[in-house]
Amino acid sequence: MIDFAPNEDQQALQDAVRQFAKTVLAPRARETEKLRGFAPDVQATAVEMGLSIASIPESAGGPGFPFVTRVLLEEELAAGDPAAAYALAGPGAFALAITEICDEARCKHFLTPFVEHPDRFGAVAWGEAKPVAERGGFGTSAKWIGNSFTLDGTKSYVVGASRADTLLVFAQVDDAAEWNGVGAFVVPKGTHGLSIERVTTLGLDGADIASVRLEHVRLPRASYLNEAKDWSHRLLRFFVKNALLVAARCTGLQRAAIEVTRDYVQTRTAFGKPIGHFQAVAFNISDRFIDLEASRAMVHRAAFLWDAVAADQATENEAFLASCRAIGFAQEAAMRAGNDAVQLHGGAGFMRDYPVEKYMRDAKQLQVCGMTTTQTDQLASRIELGLPLEWSLLIPSAESQNVFV
Amino acid sequence: MDFLLSDRQKALREGIHGFAASVIRPQALSWDLNAGIPEPFLKQMVQMAAQMGGQLGVSLEPAVAATPDEMSESGEKKKSSANLTALIGAEEMAWGDAGLLLCLPGPGLGGPPVRASGTPEQKERFFGIFKDMSETLAWGAYGLTEPGAGSDVAGIRASCRKEGDEWVINGRKCFITNGARAAWTVVFATIDPALGRAGHRAFVVEKGTPGFGVGRIEEKMGLRASETAELVFEECRIPSANLLGGEESYRSKEGFMTAMKTFDNTRPLVASMAVGIGRAAYEYARDFVKENYLLPRSIPRYAAIAERLAKVGRQLEAARMVTWRAGWMADQGIPNAKEASMSKAIAGQAAINACIEAIDICGAEGTIAGDHRLLEKWFRDIKVYDIFEGTGNIQRIVISKRVIEGLKGF
Ligand SMILES: Cc1cc2nc3c(=O)[nH]c(=O)nc-3n(C[C@H](O)[C@H](O)[C@H](O)COP(=O)(O)OP(=O)(O)OC[C@H]3O[C@@H](n4cnc5c(N)ncnc54)[C@H](O)[C@@H]3O)c2cc1C
Repeated sequence: MIDFAPNEDQQALQDAVRQFAKTVLAPRARETEKLRGFAPDVQATAVEMGLSIASIPESAGGPGFPFVTRVLLEEELAAGDPAAAYALAGPGAFALAITEICDEARCKHFLTPFVEHPDRFGAVAWGEAKPVAERGGFGTSAKWIGNSFTLDGTKSYVVGASRADTLLVFAQVDDAAEWNGVGAFVVPKGTHGLSIERVTTLGLDGADIASVRLEHVRLPRASYLNEAKDWSHRLLRFFVKNALLVAARCTGLQRAAIEVTRDYVQTRTAFGKPIGHFQAVAFNISDRFIDLEASRAMVHRAAFLWDAVAADQATENEAFLASCRAIGFAQEAAMRAGNDAVQLHGGAGFMRDYPVEKYMRDAKQLQVCGMTTTQTDQLASRIELGLPLEWSLLIPSAESQNVFV
Repeated sequence: MDFLLSDRQKALREGIHGFAASVIRPQALSWDLNAGIPEPFLKQMVQMAAQMGGQLGVSLEPAVAATPDEMSESGEKKKSSANLTALIGAEEMAWGDAGLLLCLPGPGLGGPPVRASGTPEQKERFFGIFKDMSETLAWGAYGLTEPGAGSDVAGIRASCRKEGDEWVINGRKCFITNGARAAWTVVFATIDPALGRAGHRAFVVEKGTPGFGVGRIEEKMGLRASETAELVFEECRIPSANLLGGEESYRSKEGFMTAMKTFDNTRPLVASMAVGIGRAAYEYARDFVKENYLLPRSIPRYAAIAERLAKVGRQLEAARMVTWRAGWMADQGIPNAKEASMSKAIAGQAAINACIEAIDICGAEGTIAGDHRLLEKWFRDIKVYDIFEGTGNIQRIVISKRVIEGLKGF
């Protein structure tokens, strides 16, 4: 039976995180930006609240939140500061990827340490700046030499890399197999030959984005992950779910940007009245509230469907389709919200005294996080047209469009 | 949180869908071209609706959101799923043919104001005629719009004055759905235009009342099966008993509020119909692509088409979610005027866009009319969904007033 309301537990969590976002994250967003990360006391509070282990399944000692709960938390964090949804999330995408591609035993093995040490971080090193001209797949190679793998290459667009205690690195194991020859490796921080270089980005600076260099990085057999038969499909699922979390962040960003702009147009006057009392301005605000309403409901429904898939109450294609639609809509809506927020502030909006220019930059940044609308649109139409889901065509890469993971 | 339909809602949707595909669609174009639906078919529909347990979304009349007198003893609002169920049914019916929905016998748009503001005696009297329609079909209608006042509801000029135990109405109403055939119409008039909304009075005018006549029947772009009529009032005398809600209820601004209450309930329903038409166009284009464009050759246009399809699908999904949420709020007894307007605003645009894009995707073929080629019809039908029940801009005024402090209007 259709019900749009969160349950009591979810409501309590949502309230707590909303309070944290409002009293700590939002007022300190500029400080975070200058620091290019979150102050130790903010991080400590996040750990205390359990935010750093929110992504960990029950089998590994985490809370095992339903996906609906996850998106609710992401929206609240992002409403405070979109970077927080990344930088306070502990293993974050790493945990999601491990949960999707590993069996329960390995999941437990790799994720339990994050529960025992809730101040630890993880990262996923997926992207590469350039495609390989002569074949599909990655340029970073993993060669089985002697009794270990040796990894060489550079990964880009890695969120949280510089602080990560553990990285999930994707590299080419079998050149001839192109995209089906990609393997995943768990690489601990401090491994010899691993170096991380932080980059400066348009937005989300507090989220710590870096590139990862691997020079003769030697890894034991046990760090190689992809044994599951439907591995590539699992990876597609990871990308879509991860991008759905991005969509939830986009929803939070919209809310923050629209609300602050609504307040501004009520006080700023021109031609003798608040600018919000001019129709062009009021309609613009109204349209962004419609966007917000739609984004949120779509994200919630898609998240619900993933929970329903787990409970055998929905098909995976239903969840894929709803997710793709939610992702594309929320990302574009966030960009509209950021853009209009600056526009309606006029020249003041361009100044860093106001938060809106940051929302606009963060919105653009979020549009290239997780998956892009081009990718989700292709996936959605393939499902609708009954075409095979050739994962190599659909996942983000330098061939299709690079994203931050 | 839950996004699964109940078994009853699923059964309803499937039932209507099957009927729409096999029975409604094959006739939809001829109804449109002949500007009407034969009575025997409408009778069949009435019987079906009765078998399905009353309205079940096959009537234009939504359940009215919980009003204070419906509160339970503990003071909690009654919760139901009647609105949401009606939305699901309406989307499916409109997927079949939106024109049919507007032609269905019953109180139609006249229902909500009578239900919301009518006295018990009035409800009994005016709804009574719909109880048994096995012999004669009956319709209700809603007459607010005038040649000089559509969006600007406060500007109506139709006048009313009290004489003894009667009211005398003069003026014209236009674009009234089912206005010529209706057994009764809720008509809005003013005691004094200078009073603005406070001067408005709503009457239930019965067919055959002396001084009440039907003017022209409009020729329309789409929804041509639906009757749209002009109503003329010349010294038309109405008994006091037909003043909606009775004398007392006009002490405050209620006269106008009657009109507005109607829309909180009907806007999501109209939005759902728009989504149904948009979805029909989307599915048509999707199937067209499957049948024609999926050659095993790499043609650049294919990728572009896939993206356009996906974008239409995404906008319709957005509209449906906003609409469902507005309906769900009504079911929960949560005031939903803002969300109802949001649903209407987003659905009208998403669905129009779906029809425009669908024709683009199909090319020339998309504009050819035929019993199984209804795309051009949907394109004609959909436009009005961004116009009636408040234009897109009017929805934005409603929303603006509820999100911007101190804003009175424009
Ligand atoms: C098929 C059909 C069936 C109908 N059925 C009924 C019915 O059963 N009963 C009934 O009472 N009416 C009915 N109507 C009338 C309908 O509700 C009106 O057409 C509608 O409310 C718009 O009013 P209007 O046509 O006078 O347009 P106008 O009010 O003249 O609007 C013209 C344009 O100006 C814009 N506009 C107007 N005011 C503003 C403003 N303040 N700010 C910004 N933009 C503004 C509008 O958005 C619109 O784009 C029906 C109409 C149609 C086409």
